[in-house]
Amino acid sequence: MKDIVLTGRRQKKELLYLLGSFVAANLFNLGAILYYGSPMTEMFTSFFYVLVFTLFIYALTLIPRLLYNLLRKKRATN
Amino acid sequence: MKETNLGRRDFLKALGVAGAGVLAATSPWLSAFSEVSHTAKDRCRIGVIGPGSRGQFLMGFLAQNPKADIVAIADVYQPSIDGALKIAPKAKVYKDYRRLLADPEVDGVIVATPLNTHYGIVMDAFDAGKHVYCEKTIGYTMEECFNMYERHLSSGRLFFTGQQRLFDPRYIKVMDLVHQGTFGKISAVNAYWNRNGDWRREVPDPSLEKFINWRLYGESSRGLMSELGCHQLQIGTWAFGKLPDRVMGHGGITFWKDGREVHDNVHCIFGYDTGESLTYGSVISNKFYGLEEKIMGNLGTVEPESGKYYFEEVAPAPAFLQMVNSWENALFEEIPFAGTSWAPETANVNKGEFILGERPKTDGTSLLVDAFVEAVITGKQPARIAEEGYYASLLCLWGHKAIETGQVLPFPEEYKIDYAAYGTKKNNPTDTDTLA
Repeated sequence: MKDIVLTGRRQKKELLYLLGSFVAANLFNLGAILYYGSPMTEMFTSFFYVLVFTLFIYALTLIPRLLYNLLRKKRATN
Repeated sequence: MKETNLGRRDFLKALGVAGAGVLAATSPWLSAFSEVSHTAKDRCRIGVIGPGSRGQFLMGFLAQNPKADIVAIADVYQPSIDGALKIAPKAKVYKDYRRLLADPEVDGVIVATPLNTHYGIVMDAFDAGKHVYCEKTIGYTMEECFNMYERHLSSGRLFFTGQQRLFDPRYIKVMDLVHQGTFGKISAVNAYWNRNGDWRREVPDPSLEKFINWRLYGESSRGLMSELGCHQLQIGTWAFGKLPDRVMGHGGITFWKDGREVHDNVHCIFGYDTGESLTYGSVISNKFYGLEEKIMGNLGTVEPESGKYYFEEVAPAPAFLQMVNSWENALFEEIPFAGTSWAPETANVNKGEFILGERPKTDGTSLLVDAFVEAVITGKQPARIAEEGYYASLLCLWGHKAIETGQVLPFPEEYKIDYAAYGTKKNNPTDTDTLA
């Protein structure tokens, strides 16, 4: 089985994607708090929901990136 | 139903209070336990008159109480005596209750006989200088109840009635919350007790029909009002803190047409001068809704039987979940076609909270019996316990009268007693000619 090598650059890039997803999830939470008139403490009390949503957004970003990489690889082999 | 014997320590723990004194305003009869540590080595001697099924149930608690000795029983029915002797093998047996009352070794008596016999036995017991615990309903007529209460006062003997909810931790806690205004303005108490059964007991010989199934016959019972309603009507007065001023009612025999004389379904509306209402209904051919007293305030509802309360306004879900839910609805929800216009009322899903933080374990009977034992030892009548029992009996008999006459009846002023909790009497009943 072929080893998967995660370069330091790739790791840094993925961490930035994850951080971006976390910021986006928090912005969604902030928007919802303002929209529904809920207390700002929910920025902290809803942390676990935000964390799950972060992973969801990160997973969403994976799909176009995987597609893009696959297409790029295919074009290179041609 | 199997009853858990809840100790005093567990009882206070269940209420979440440091001592009974905290609830003195709502439930002053808890003072019965105020000297419990001082009486640790004392004992009292109890006689049981009418140790049938209910009597034996109460004897079970007495037998577990180290401060009580069941020294005598009186009954005319041998199977009841045999059953009672299994609980209290050393008890003296009397066929005539008057001989038990004449026994100087008896300090107090528990009366658990058919309704129409309470009056004579309780009056004789007071005359014999005995303390009395009488099962509800205390009298067959309002006049009897009044005379019993007056004799209790004049004799200086203790008078307890079988209103076990007075000692049920759920109800004590609920009434404390209700009186604090936690559930807002209480506009209605809706009480009901539904069963699906004929309410009959097996009769070994047809000649014993009226003796065994005394609850079904008018000469010995007031039917569902006296046997079931008495407990729940007391919850209404306890919650409102006052007496209703009129009652209307209806009842009939619609299903169990088996020769019985008492109704198999009854409904009463008790109205208050300030507009509130207390309703009571009982049907014994349908058990779907079972037993409950719904105490309805503008801020919340309490259902003490199930041990839960529900606030009108439920705290909203976190904004984040609301947002996700709205996306989900936008994606998957079907578009309603000709939906009901009252959907907001019927679709209210509110799981409520347990009053004591857990499912109910006891109905208070064990503590009521323990309180009687404590009171017999100390000789002190706990505040308001006789009066609550008196008015509970009066309300069910008054409701029964409304059902029988088909009229809207005003509160019988002549039977009002000096009881500050529900207002003092307007007339002095002892001066009226209506009393025998």
